Amino acid sequence: MSDVTKSADFTSTPEEDEFELRAHIGSVWSGGRLFIGMYTFLLASLAFAYFYLRSSNNGLLWRPNHVTAPTAYGWTIISLTVLASVMAIYGKWRFRKGGVVDWQVAGWTALFGAVLALVMQIWELTALPFYPGSSGYASTFIGFSVINIATLVVGAYWLETTLARSLRLHREIGGVQPELSAHAEAQSFRANVAAMTYFWGFVGLSGFLFFAMFYLL
Amino acid sequence: MTMSAERPDVVTGGAGSPARVPWTQRRGWISQHVGTALVLGLVGYLFGHWLGNTITGGYANNLNSGQNSTADFFALLFMVVGWLLGIGALNYPIAKLAGRRPAKELDVEGWSKYFRYSTNHKTVGLQYIVGVLLFMFTGGLLAMAIRTELLSPTTHFFSASTYIKIVSEHGTVMMMMATSIIIGPLGNYLVPLMIGSRRMAFPRIEAFSFWIFVAGYMVIFSALPFGGFPTGWTGYAPLQTQAGPGMISYLFGFAVIGLGMMAAGFNIAITIINYRAPGMTWSRVPIFVWSILATAALLTLATPTLFAAGLFGLLDKTAQTAFYVTEHGGSSYLWENLFWFFGHPEVYIMALPGFGIVGEILPVFTRKPLFAYKVGAAGMIGVSLLSFFVWQHHLFQSGINPDMRPLFMLTTELISIPTGFIYLVGMGTLYKAKIRFEIPMLFAMALYFNFLIGGVTGVFLSDVPVNVTVHGGFFVLSHFHYTIMGGLLFAFMAGLYYWLPKMTGRMMNKKIGLWHFWTMFIFFNLTFFPMFIIGLLGQPRRVFTYAKNLQGLNDFSSVSAFLLGVSFLIFFFNLVWSLYINPKKAPANPWESLGLEWQTASPVPAHNFDRIPVILSDPYHYSEENAPAVADLGEDDRLVRAATTPDDTGAA
Repeated sequence: MSDVTKSADFTSTPEEDEFELRAHIGSVWSGGRLFIGMYTFLLASLAFAYFYLRSSNNGLLWRPNHVTAPTAYGWTIISLTVLASVMAIYGKWRFRKGGVVDWQVAGWTALFGAVLALVMQIWELTALPFYPGSSGYASTFIGFSVINIATLVVGAYWLETTLARSLRLHREIGGVQPELSAHAEAQSFRANVAAMTYFWGFVGLSGFLFFAMFYLL
Repeated sequence: MTMSAERPDVVTGGAGSPARVPWTQRRGWISQHVGTALVLGLVGYLFGHWLGNTITGGYANNLNSGQNSTADFFALLFMVVGWLLGIGALNYPIAKLAGRRPAKELDVEGWSKYFRYSTNHKTVGLQYIVGVLLFMFTGGLLAMAIRTELLSPTTHFFSASTYIKIVSEHGTVMMMMATSIIIGPLGNYLVPLMIGSRRMAFPRIEAFSFWIFVAGYMVIFSALPFGGFPTGWTGYAPLQTQAGPGMISYLFGFAVIGLGMMAAGFNIAITIINYRAPGMTWSRVPIFVWSILATAALLTLATPTLFAAGLFGLLDKTAQTAFYVTEHGGSSYLWENLFWFFGHPEVYIMALPGFGIVGEILPVFTRKPLFAYKVGAAGMIGVSLLSFFVWQHHLFQSGINPDMRPLFMLTTELISIPTGFIYLVGMGTLYKAKIRFEIPMLFAMALYFNFLIGGVTGVFLSDVPVNVTVHGGFFVLSHFHYTIMGGLLFAFMAGLYYWLPKMTGRMMNKKIGLWHFWTMFIFFNLTFFPMFIIGLLGQPRRVFTYAKNLQGLNDFSSVSAFLLGVSFLIFFFNLVWSLYINPKKAPANPWESLGLEWQTASPVPAHNFDRIPVILSDPYHYSEENAPAVADLGEDDRLVRAATTPDDTGAA
């Protein structure tokens, strides 16, 4: 919002400021959706690799002996991911009803779940019962793990920076619930919360689909 | 936090208390700029190499092998991280993580701003121009090396393995450069001006896209000291799997450039969607902006697949997975599918902005409205959508189910329909026009000539029987050089000659420009047209020797290529001559264009427009009776209106 480079003697009219604020909020909204679109193509590439190698089954080495990644880890990671996702969505729902503190508590809980899921996902890589190149399944699982780690890092970063921004709004704007005020920063913040929550909903859904592919199928 | 108008080196905090500018953004050497980026990049490289060796040096696949792919990859990864840290790209995300309000990037005055992390879209656009020209120059030198080797089938300048590595590096560098050559420089500079915006939606993402692009350039050139890679630009497995450490530079280089492409496309798409000036409905958006939007859609949606393909390749190299190793349950065809799912849309990433440029130029130099503007815009969207459904035609010869061939032959031929729309928009505009043969117009018309040849041969190639016959030969090579170099590069030159007066305030020398155009046009055709014949006579690509009876044609092509190289030297000379040695001040609107980008002050102020304009119609109503005004600039009721006769001065 205030990022635009302007010359020192430049002044904008209130209408122009309002126009730029609307454009900024629209950018956060559409940017969040487009980001999910990009992520979908990334995950679709992984899904393509999975089903391509599965159907090719070259040398009968898609999944010899039906070996599976440790399901206990899998259940833990997906539970924590879905928890983070649900908490983010619940928090957003409470936020819209004016429950800023509820949103913050839900947000920190979601962040805790996301970080724990991240740790578990990394830890799981040290406990795999197969060598990375031993089969098509093993390879795609390693690929999935790396992408899932990246997804959780991105999601956790977005959560943390949104929560930190909420605290900053209290310092800078003041008041009881500055997040809900008509201040331009607060409007921008709300758009960011909506986009972040939408992303977490996507993470939860896609995480469950890949969990089913790698642990249940 | 706002910038203080009184003291440019002081920022005021939220409470109004002055705070010193952080050292990272001060003027002078003690701050973040390309120098610190290089130093931290080097430190990152050394650290990454040490880390990789420490972690995996004892693994069985690395022990006593004299090679450690993980160390090579970590070196490049940390080099890029160090580079981004040094240039200042990570200041903002780190500050946000710490809960601090990120300091605003200062736009330092003077030439040094081009070596810094700037959030001014005009600075980024000019940075991109230098970046892509550097890419093009180095890729062009490699092309000269290729043509030198092909002067003789028996006397060799390079070994067979060196030759294929030069070919691979040339192809990769050029394709990486070509994806950004228009959207980077011209898209970033012009889109906000053309849509009446004061800014980009995400200026830091825009700056990131450029600096990661430069990092990608360094990564891909690191392949040469690593011993190169033998796969050509397509990187096919299983050769990819067997290749040495240069392959890591290829895979990681594409991933890094891919990040830049996604960032650039994301930012520009969101800007176009949200920051159009009031009144700029979709039917009033300039055709160049339409082309950039269609390209941005492809960049954002197709490039993640390339990124994933590169990631899988890197995992094969480092974590010893087997995505592309058929003997271990993987498949080399997986790479081919993923690569071309990105690779074919990439062709349109390169082609569409070129048509956008000429779509802007033709009405100006014919003083006619753009013919069937909406059909042209629809054609661009149609090409974007269809481009996701044609990738398998690259695998006609590579083992796909033969029953699938007709389907992909059909989809490939279908795409020629919206492409034909776009082409006919140009022809309709030229029909019965009184053309002003300025340099940009010459390049624009050359595009139509070249693309006709490239496009028609493309329709041949989409037919399975022809494809089977000429696959992997010089015919294909000539076809894509006609479409990419003959289309994109000529459009880029047209765009530079057309918009540089706005960007730099200097007119390019017309006489030298004519020399540049005619040498480039003639020797481009003399270089590549014989390659159709060479290909039909059976010469394969990427092979450093050939049948003796083809030497005459090859020598003709090589000498023409050298002269084509000279034409680029003329261009560089013109650039230096016109901008520095003998600068001539450009008029505010030298081509009498109605485009919004020409209506703002020259040089363009930091905030682009004093008042956000109100758009009243599309900018192509040249020479029309009772033409509507194009825009209200809000300054003393200033309206941009078309001239009613070709002799009139136009925008007023």
